[in-house]
Order: sequence, then C-alpha cells, then structure tokens
Amino acid sequence: MHGSARSRRSTGRFLTLAASMLALAVISQQSWAAGARGTAKGLLAPLEAQMMSIASGVERTTAIFGDIATLRAENQRLSAENQDLRRRLAELDAAAYDNKELRQALDFQRTFGHRTAVAEVVGRGPDAFSRTLEIDRGSDDGVRPGMIVVSGAGLVGRVREAGPHGAIVQTLADPQSRANVFLSGSGLQGTIIGGPSVLQLQVEHRLGSVASKGEWAITSGVGGGYPRGLVVGDVVSVTHSDAAITDAAFVDWVNDPATLSLVIVVLDFSPS
Amino acid sequence: MRLVAGMLLMLAGALVQVTWASQLEIAGAFPNVVLIVVIALTWTQGVRAGLLWGCAGGILLDLNAPGPLGLHAVALLCGAYVTGFWARNLDRESPLHPAAAVAVSTVLYSLVLIGADRVLGLPIPPFATAMQLTVTATLYNAALMPIALITVRRATSGLHWEPAAP
Repeated sequence: MHGSARSRRSTGRFLTLAASMLALAVISQQSWAAGARGTAKGLLAPLEAQMMSIASGVERTTAIFGDIATLRAENQRLSAENQDLRRRLAELDAAAYDNKELRQALDFQRTFGHRTAVAEVVGRGPDAFSRTLEIDRGSDDGVRPGMIVVSGAGLVGRVREAGPHGAIVQTLADPQSRANVFLSGSGLQGTIIGGPSVLQLQVEHRLGSVASKGEWAITSGVGGGYPRGLVVGDVVSVTHSDAAITDAAFVDWVNDPATLSLVIVVLDFSPS
Repeated sequence: MRLVAGMLLMLAGALVQVTWASQLEIAGAFPNVVLIVVIALTWTQGVRAGLLWGCAGGILLDLNAPGPLGLHAVALLCGAYVTGFWARNLDRESPLHPAAAVAVSTVLYSLVLIGADRVLGLPIPPFATAMQLTVTATLYNAALMPIALITVRRATSGLHWEPAAP
C-alpha cells in the first residue's frame, strides 16, 4: 500500500515537473520571449569565463610539472635553477600563444575586408548532439543570428542565437552544419557535412578529375551561406566510386573546438 | 543549507560540463557530468531529490545550449524518474545497478533531446551519428558512475543528508 502510494506521488511529481518544463520550452521559444531567453542564457557567461581561465591555468601548471620532471631526470644538480627558468618559459609561452592568437585575429581583420568583432569563447555545448560554442559578444556588440564566425585558421561556424552580452555559435562539427566548398588542387565542388570527429565531404564527379588527399577544402560561396575563400580543412581520405554520383571524403578541420579560445564574428556578411 | 549546497553542486556540475567536459572527448562523445550527478543523487537520496536536482541541473544546461529552455531538464527528469524506481526495487549496494541505471538514463536523455528537437521543428543529427554518439556516451557515463557514486555518497554524508528509504 505504502509503496503504491509512494509510486503515485513520484509519478505525479514527475509529470508535474515535466509538464512545467515543456511549458517553459514552448514559452521560451516564442519570438516575444527571445530577449528574456537571451538575457537568461548570458547569466552564466562570467562564471564560465572564470572556469575557462582556471582550465588554462591548470594546463599551464601541468606543463610546468612536466618540464620539472624532465629536468630532474636530465640533471639533478641544476634542477632548482631550471625549475624557475622553465616556469618562466612556460608563462612566456602561454603569453606568446595568446599574443599569437590576437595577432592572427588582427591580421585577419586587416586582410579579410569585412567588419569583424573578436570574441572570447566562454563555454561549449552541454551535449554531443549540438556542437556549439558560447562567446562573450552579443547583440549589444552588433552580433546577430546567422552571422558567420571564423578564426585566424579558418571557418568556425555560424551564430545561432544572440543575447545582449553573449551568443551561441553552431560550429562546423555540429552534425547539422553544412558548407559548400571547392578543393584547392582539383577545383572540384562539394558539400561539407558536420560530424563529431572529422568532417564529411561529398565531392561532385567530374570527368578527368578526382579529389585527392592533401587538397584544401575552401568555401566556394555557392548558395550564399558563407563568403568565398575561407579555409575549412584538408582532405585526409577519399573513397572513389565510379557507380556513385559523388565521392565520399573526410576532411580534417583546421579548427579544434575543444581548444578554440578566441574567434572572430563577421559583422557585415549577410547570408542569402 | 541543503538547498544551497545542492544548488552549488549542480552549478559546479553544469560549469564543468560546459567548460571542461568536451576536452575528455572519446569517439565524438564526452561524459555528461550533470546527468551522472543527478542519477547518483537519485540513487542515494531518492526519486524526489533526483527530480528536483534534475530540474535544476537541466535548466542550467539549457542556459548554455541552443534552442528553448527546459529540454535538458525534461531529459534529466526522465532519467531520474526511471532511476528512482530502479533504486527502490533493487540492491543499492551493487555497483552494477547504478552503472546500468545511468546507461539507461543516457539513452533516455538522448531520445528525449532528439525527440523534443523533432517535435519543436529544430534540426536533429542523422540517425547513424546520433546512434554512435549515444552508444559512446552511454558507455562513458556508465564507466564513470561508480566514482561519481562514491563522491556523491561522501559529499552527502558530509553534509548530513539522510539517505533515501530502501
């Protein structure tokens, strides 16, 4: 009797909470609630930025410990002195890495010819189904849904949602991402399809041309989704079939979403 | 006090999930820290606590995900609800049951997320990709569950939270 009553209570609680959350989902998806949703989604951004900086600190510390171990093995006598030198070197390396990324962003801005905004990555999507990044620039900085996002290395993805002080970027690794590209060597056209480990590429068949390993996949501008000329990655394998209308290939993306820390939002490109 | 401690635990779990968890990627999948914590709390504290913290943790995850708020909460609620019944009717001391419970919850979580996206007209991943990611995440979460369970048991006993009635 007790067990049955408890089960009914649990089921009642579950149904009430699930119904409330579904109602919240429906309400928050309405266009009039977009502002409130965007504001709510920016609430955790400062804490996430702190967590990301802690992660960088941990990585730096780990690198220092690794260096110390090597030095001890090499020369016990100089370990204390080397420890200090290595720590300084690791700190300089970390600073140089940040500077390199910032320089790349500035160079990109000068040569790309579009109006851009540099944003810091403060978070990543909570599940593997949607490969997204959270950035610290939002509608107050001119960022709007649909804008494309790049890094110094190449294409990152597209802004999916924007709040006042933050935005969510759908990366190319997201299984729903698509981008039209051409190959640098053969000139063949194809479509990149997002994937969790590597990007898939469907390449057109053209008489006398076959896609080959090592070619660069570059956005073609076809379809108007992305501007022409952005590097996506290099072809790592091609499966050719005379019977099929397209060849299947895999592309190694130039960006690694797990390590991206700075991205550039292109503010004046409107996808058609 | 219990509410504050629980909120801090869920907040820490959600922050770890959206900042560090993706660095632990294996075959495209990474562990779901919040799901593991919610299932561990349900296993040790009962279905009522699991539903409450599942709801809170889900909303925190929704704040970092594209799309409407509430979907991750519904997905976590389903896992907590099933785990609650499982824990009530089976041996709580066996390490295999909580690992199996988190595995089943991961499958439910994935199904709810994909199903809700489909109902709401949002884009969903291709079937083969979704399948691969779900299977990998299921194994990953199940492997981490025993450690999570020990940690949550220690944390809750340290905070003098009463365990759920068998």
